[in-house]
Amino acid sequence: MAQVHFEDVKEGDEIPQLKKNCSTQQLVLWAAGSGDFYQIHYDKDFAQATGLKGLIVHGALKNAFLGQLLHDWIGEAGQVRRFGCSYRGMDEPNQDILCRGVVTKKYSEGGKHFVELDVWTEKPDGKKTSPGTALVTLPSKN
Amino acid sequence: MADEFEITDEMRAQIGVDSEPWTYEVTTTSVRMYARGIGTEDPIHYDVDFAKSQGFRSIVAPLGYLGTPVYLPGQNDPTFGFPRRAGGPRLNIPMKGLLDGGTETEYLDVICAGDVLVETSHLADLKLRDSARGKMLFITNESVYKNKETGQVVAKQRLTSIHY
Repeated sequence: MAQVHFEDVKEGDEIPQLKKNCSTQQLVLWAAGSGDFYQIHYDKDFAQATGLKGLIVHGALKNAFLGQLLHDWIGEAGQVRRFGCSYRGMDEPNQDILCRGVVTKKYSEGGKHFVELDVWTEKPDGKKTSPGTALVTLPSKN
Repeated sequence: MADEFEITDEMRAQIGVDSEPWTYEVTTTSVRMYARGIGTEDPIHYDVDFAKSQGFRSIVAPLGYLGTPVYLPGQNDPTFGFPRRAGGPRLNIPMKGLLDGGTETEYLDVICAGDVLVETSHLADLKLRDSARGKMLFITNESVYKNKETGQVVAKQRLTSIHY
């Protein structure tokens, strides 16, 4: 993908979407990678005993998906300064999770070129399950 | 039990008190494992030669990955891996249910395989809310990660957990 520059973006722009769909295997891979072995992510009986309908996707995995969304967009010359989200809804395995972001502000300061975004994960029905924000820097063409 | 739970002055007194430091390791294997967990295929997270050709010390930690805490049996939580070190909050929570509430990460530098980080954390906030599930306790912890070799802060993270 071509490097995106500060001059290429304007407020209201949507960045390229990232679609995810977690198999239960991916949840186990994530558990191994993150060190989070909470059973609600791979043991259906355990999950249901806690009052959940079934297995759910790790919140921090959805946060990392939003990290990938930003990483893929900013290219090699961009940097993520901060990003985060809150977990307002649950996502289940084998269900599409759409990761999206919209530019809310851009400004230059101290020779750096900053872009603020709203980012979120979305269920197939459009419900936002992990709304958050991000701050990145992009290279300038000048 | 949980319905009678209240945040006490003793609990609030633990806000802002720093834990003892703990070592987090960022290795080529752990970076690749985390990247596989996300499902990204960017070679910058897998191929050391490629990452070096792009100007990095080694493969780059995916966003969200701040290393893996050194695991010592009896000293780390066996389910979540986090250290049960001295100085951390002791809240004695009666709620059995637990959910992620949110994650916010601030980056001050790029984290690469080979980095050893030293993390300290403190309890940042406690909130109790009523919900359809009963009382829910929101616990927010803030962690600061420093590069062990340089002493530079490389990242700060706020994690919120929900107990119900």
